[in-house]
Amino acid sequence: MHRTLKPFELLEPESLDEAVASLARWGGDARVLAGGLDLVAKMTRWEMQPDCLVSLDRIPGLDVLERQDDGALRIGPMVTLRGIELSPLVQAGWPLLAAAVDHISSVQVKTMGTLVGNLCVATPASDLAPALLALGATLHIARPDGAAAVPVEDFFVPVCSSILEPGQIVTEVSVPAPAAGTGWAFKKLAHTKACIAKVNVAVTIEREGDVCRRARVALGAVASTPLRVPTAEHALEGCEVDRDLIARAAGLAREAATPITDLRSTADYRRDMVEVLTRRALTEAWDKASEREGRAS
Amino acid sequence: MKTKDVVRAQVATFVVNGRTYEELVPPNMTLLELLRDRLGLTGTKRGCSGSGNCGACTVLLDGRPVLSCLTLALLARDREVLTVEGLSTPGGLHPLQQAFLEHGAVQCGFCTPGMLLSAKALLDSNPDPTPAEVRAALAGNLCRCTGYVKIVEAVLAAAAVMRGDAAHEDREQAGGCVSW
Repeated sequence: MHRTLKPFELLEPESLDEAVASLARWGGDARVLAGGLDLVAKMTRWEMQPDCLVSLDRIPGLDVLERQDDGALRIGPMVTLRGIELSPLVQAGWPLLAAAVDHISSVQVKTMGTLVGNLCVATPASDLAPALLALGATLHIARPDGAAAVPVEDFFVPVCSSILEPGQIVTEVSVPAPAAGTGWAFKKLAHTKACIAKVNVAVTIEREGDVCRRARVALGAVASTPLRVPTAEHALEGCEVDRDLIARAAGLAREAATPITDLRSTADYRRDMVEVLTRRALTEAWDKASEREGRAS
Repeated sequence: MKTKDVVRAQVATFVVNGRTYEELVPPNMTLLELLRDRLGLTGTKRGCSGSGNCGACTVLLDGRPVLSCLTLALLARDREVLTVEGLSTPGGLHPLQQAFLEHGAVQCGFCTPGMLLSAKALLDSNPDPTPAEVRAALAGNLCRCTGYVKIVEAVLAAAAVMRGDAAHEDREQAGGCVSW
């Protein structure tokens, strides 16, 4: 059945300060409109009926996608997934992020949807959140009383929520440049390529010879938020890596997962697949790290 | 501050298929509603009705494929909208439309306008796509009749025509040119 959107006020501020002030004034009755994919879809279904939308469309500079002086990738809140996918800068320097976006199939969705919007929707099954967790991204948030920087692992709140409060806008995601020799992998299990993940896994590994210097393991769709797995990371770090160690780390990822059974999969199957995909991801990342170290030397 | 009853409509300028329209539009009108219900351009289809899954409502906004059912009409003002009605010219069908006809890439036709516009966006940026690139470009458009094979063949054939690639057409006449 076709439903029209409930009436609301549309504000189109031309500066971030103005947007933050508007959001603060409207409180919980207002929502930020970026790409609109999730928000307008929920409003169409009457699941969400905000009194006011604050569009970021007319604020200049929010589509910035560039390498900062410190080497980190700076992603503005209006940068679309398509913009990331097609960016030679991202493909060359942050291929894990490009790989995660590649797992979203619809061109229209990628053309409209923004990376920041995807994070703010805060679905545990986000393809981008595990990638950004594995890359150690930081979110910059504008608030009426100033700015804050928050690591992405501190951003999500169960379930499908975040620490964002009324009046706050994510103004930027900053993704550090991976250290030389960093290997990475992204694995997604879904019914078809167009479907939401049953399980997804993103990993990065820094390698020195046969020793893992630093590891990040992140899971999606298997807990009430996107999840980092410190136990698996600690098991790898400072150790000589072989198949057994990777298998042990994958087992720890399985233990960290707290999946549910829903229409996409069962909790048991998801747990099994966390272990399998983490093992495959770590193996692939370790091999890639090896290649990179070989090229550098 | 509750304004549930207040809808502040604006007079806005829309450029659709090269023609300029001035319309009084409330914030809660989608681009799809503007096109179909206000401007009478019913070639753009309402499929999944706002879940963003089917792609039947795809139009090009400044040349990029978007879902008009999830786009607020006011945010499309002063931008170029292209719908299926704007694809053909008085001189005839667009090569994509012609190829869809010739390859039987249309059955019920409901997905066709969206398919054509996604395909046009692809060919505008990539005149010589591979079959895999065509499939990736159409991934956001669902078809429940044809099974996609003929659609992909039609897009490849249209691309060849638009490039003026006679060799491709010869291969095709010789019996099938698409390798899967």
